[in-house]
Amino acid sequence: MLQAHSLLWHYLWLAPHIYGLLLVALVWRNHLQKQYPVFVFYLLFASIDGISLYVLDVAPGIDGNIWWGALWVGTIVEGMLKFAVIGELAHHLLRSWPSIAKLGRSLVSAAGIVLVLIAAVAAAYSAPDSAPWFIGGAHVLLQTIYLAAGGLIVSMFALAAWLHIPWERPAFGIALGAGLVWCEHLAIWALIAGGVVRNRTWVDFANMGTYHISVLIWYYYLLVPEKKRPSKTPPKDRSDDPPVDPPSASSSSGAPQDHEETLNDWNRELERLIHQ
Amino acid sequence: MTLAYFLVVAAVLAVVSLFYLGISQNFQVRSDANLAPRIQPIDIEAFRNLMDPAEREYLRRRLPGGEFREVQRRRLVAMAAYVRTASQNATILIDIGNQSLSASDPQTAEAGRQLADNAHTLQVNATYALFRIWAAWLWPHFDRPTITILNSYERLNGSAMLLGRLQNPSAPVRISATS
Repeated sequence: MLQAHSLLWHYLWLAPHIYGLLLVALVWRNHLQKQYPVFVFYLLFASIDGISLYVLDVAPGIDGNIWWGALWVGTIVEGMLKFAVIGELAHHLLRSWPSIAKLGRSLVSAAGIVLVLIAAVAAAYSAPDSAPWFIGGAHVLLQTIYLAAGGLIVSMFALAAWLHIPWERPAFGIALGAGLVWCEHLAIWALIAGGVVRNRTWVDFANMGTYHISVLIWYYYLLVPEKKRPSKTPPKDRSDDPPVDPPSASSSSGAPQDHEETLNDWNRELERLIHQ
Repeated sequence: MTLAYFLVVAAVLAVVSLFYLGISQNFQVRSDANLAPRIQPIDIEAFRNLMDPAEREYLRRRLPGGEFREVQRRRLVAMAAYVRTASQNATILIDIGNQSLSASDPQTAEAGRQLADNAHTLQVNATYALFRIWAAWLWPHFDRPTITILNSYERLNGSAMLLGRLQNPSAPVRISATS
């Protein structure tokens, strides 16, 4: 089953890319491409690149050097698009919050610089390969790109978690899917570039299978609408009620009226501060 | 080879943290309806006194070096406790603001956005203040007042008041009556 050119191998290589093209068409129909143009272009390019590499791999009479050349070109262009997607996600995450937008961009940029330095060290220490330079070089290039891209996605999740910044649903799905596949690819290419694993078929299955899962994650978050939460009941007008002392935070029972009372308590504390 | 294993472990941890941070944050923001009771009121006057540079200067002049450092370290620990509480309150206010973003009334949604934005500033300033406090704990003579956190707190007041007013228009009247 886990053999090169098995039915599963053909399916896992082709299917995610065909699903990717279909997702581009569906996203276009929903006009989501206006909000996420870079991601849509990235997905389109990655799908066409994946299908082209598949055709070059199975077509008879294609020289191996041509396949590796296509891989190099695809990897470089896709690498640049990956960073552009990260920029687009950062823009969507921070655009509503002017007070932290600059800080957020600076933190993500700083994380990028640190990751590039780590990637350079990792590239310098990659194991020497007896294969031609363009094969070993491709392994190191892939490790470098996935280290930087995966690390940047994680740093964005950390920033969002630290400051409780809410993700837009499509941006969250894109980031989750991309983060999953880029981190998995980092692990695999680190093993290959480090000389731990060479010429094993299971790495293809791991990479292709994870990409398939990511495409399904993108389908879910880009096409399935968010379930609507039950709307809150409007606040009760208590203008006729006599004024009462709000309860302390610790004595609150958690009932809706307590929620309002404690918010008032907080407001009054701040009111006192402003009049000092 | 060691580096390869290190990168594999880092990648696995990254995937785990992606799912943990992403999904837990989403779940938390959506499911917590009872946030306000978690706010811990702060004694602002005591906080102000602790941050007051004149107070620190007075102690420095009156106490011998060793005693001053000991007292100042105790004050810094107390200051850190206040800042941590302010930071926790900011987190809760961010979530309250985020929940108001989906309100049908655009004014309430905008007030929620402003509250969350100001609370973000407070959160960042609180983190920065904590770094400075712990640095000052190591070297008490180098202490500088972390006034920015009080300024953020003041800005937060306006946003919290506005959102409170929009969510419950009768509340400000009652505040005036009792305070």
